[in-house]
Amino acid sequence: MSVESSVRQFLLSNYLFTDRDEALGNDDSLLQKGIVDSTGMMELIYFLEEQFGIRILDEEMVPENLDSVNNIVRFLGRKAAASGNQAIG
Amino acid sequence: MSLLARLQARVRLQPGAEALVSGTQRMSYGELWEAISRVADGLRGAGVVPGARVGLLLENSPEYVACYYGVHGAGGVVVALNPAARAPEIAGHLRHCGAALLVITPTHPQREAIAETLPDCPLITPELLLGADAHALRCTEPAPDTPAAIIYTSGTTGCPKGVTLSHRNLDSNVQSILAYLGLTTEDAIVNVLPFHYSYGNSVLHTHLAAGARVVLDRSMVYPHGVLEAMASERATGFSGVPSTYAVLLSRTRITDHDLSSVRYLTQAGGAMAPELTRRVRAALPHARLFVMYGQTEATARLAYLPPEHLEEKLGAVGIAIPGVQLDIRDEHGGAVADGVTGEIWARGENIMLGYWNDAAASREVMEHGWLKTGDLAHRDRDGYIYIDGRRSEMIKCGAHRISPLEIEEVITEIPGVEDVACTGIPDELLGQVVKAVIVPRAGWAVTTMDVQRHCRDRLPAYKVPRCVEFAATLPRTASGKVKRFLLNDGGQMQGERDVSTRPEYASR
Repeated sequence: MSVESSVRQFLLSNYLFTDRDEALGNDDSLLQKGIVDSTGMMELIYFLEEQFGIRILDEEMVPENLDSVNNIVRFLGRKAAASGNQAIG
Repeated sequence: MSLLARLQARVRLQPGAEALVSGTQRMSYGELWEAISRVADGLRGAGVVPGARVGLLLENSPEYVACYYGVHGAGGVVVALNPAARAPEIAGHLRHCGAALLVITPTHPQREAIAETLPDCPLITPELLLGADAHALRCTEPAPDTPAAIIYTSGTTGCPKGVTLSHRNLDSNVQSILAYLGLTTEDAIVNVLPFHYSYGNSVLHTHLAAGARVVLDRSMVYPHGVLEAMASERATGFSGVPSTYAVLLSRTRITDHDLSSVRYLTQAGGAMAPELTRRVRAALPHARLFVMYGQTEATARLAYLPPEHLEEKLGAVGIAIPGVQLDIRDEHGGAVADGVTGEIWARGENIMLGYWNDAAASREVMEHGWLKTGDLAHRDRDGYIYIDGRRSEMIKCGAHRISPLEIEEVITEIPGVEDVACTGIPDELLGQVVKAVIVPRAGWAVTTMDVQRHCRDRLPAYKVPRCVEFAATLPRTASGKVKRFLLNDGGQMQGERDVSTRPEYASR
């Protein structure tokens, strides 16, 4: 499964409780659309860390990295490039 | 004296001092006053008369603050609602209090649904109000015992409870809190608490009354940003519920930030585990930590634990704040001895006028000027109060208070649900999360995801049950009332979260 579909599936099933793909746009703001709150963001972080075997640093917890599916995918791509981990992306 | 008159006094003393900071926007007391004047003028122009209820559906922002005080400037009653709520709940509350109009942002996702449900309630944007002509605000001192604000504590469609606070209530609680926190014009707080709840409301008004600076940070979603704001603003204070502190300690390296300016921390909104209290103290040893206790029905605050006694009285919520009397009473209203558990009764100028338009519900909790809090507690021989439990079934999830009834109402709408009961189950991060136990109708298949999705469509995210369990029957008393406390005994439940296995919660 691609990074994108894995992230989408997590968000859809845990926060939107649906498997309808159109319920979430890849550029939708997770915060502004009320999809995740502060607890949801913590859970998303744990999911990303476990699923992709990465460690998200405090300073990486910013909207540019985490506020939409596209931002998350790009962020994970940058993490992979930095670590040389081919499993991601 | 009203909050508005106190703020005006501040404006005269320190018009150039910063009152609010939001992102790159910095607003002085003088500018805030001008914004308030514009809003008050705009509201009068829109037909708001003294006593009219004005709904606010705004995130924490300078606009929120200008509108809150602007409503008072127009003689109105503030009804600040949760911007994350869904249209049926918002409309239900506005209808319940007969709101004259609603201040709402043009982009609010529920805007159209609210307009459709309540065609007679005009919607107005804060931008429109702030663009009104600014005459000097005619600040007429309101009668102290007239309503100033209504805070809804529960209810979607069933029975909304609107805690009605007078100008005297708001001001007396602010004065009591200022007396023990000792806030001054030198103070600056980074606020993450929602202003539409009593705790955030109290943080806002106390700091403005003291001439301090309030730095608005939208939420704890990005805790690192909160610490950065505290460092860069040289914040002297921070307020949180237990989960706020749990998130800060688990997901950030506090010691990486220069927080040497912080002199006070406050904690309310439910009991904080002594272990977490110790960790907060260890992370910021130079700050005084105020553990506090209160209720919306008491405006916000009822008791506080003086920081110098924190270690000695760990686990206590402390002593009554100045101007408040707290009794521990038995079920017949008689005093109990030290060490014996009873219900906390409270008296003081901060006790609400009552529930809006609900004399019966008001009578249930108020008697001869006393508020029966529903909280069970005992007092030690030094007079310190320890909470032992809660008579009420309200679920305390993070900063939120959730009535199980409103979730049950929503779940009952799902075809195939015969019966349902909700309760709070322990959660390491949030204190409690919602659990639903459902009795399916014979021959129907209802899944956890069906239930959660339906709730997600009708309720804000924090009210969606984290755990859904199916049962053949619900435990009931002889009179048919659900014994909610028995719902927790389900053993290993589907969907239950186990955060204890996450190392981040255990250490760091």
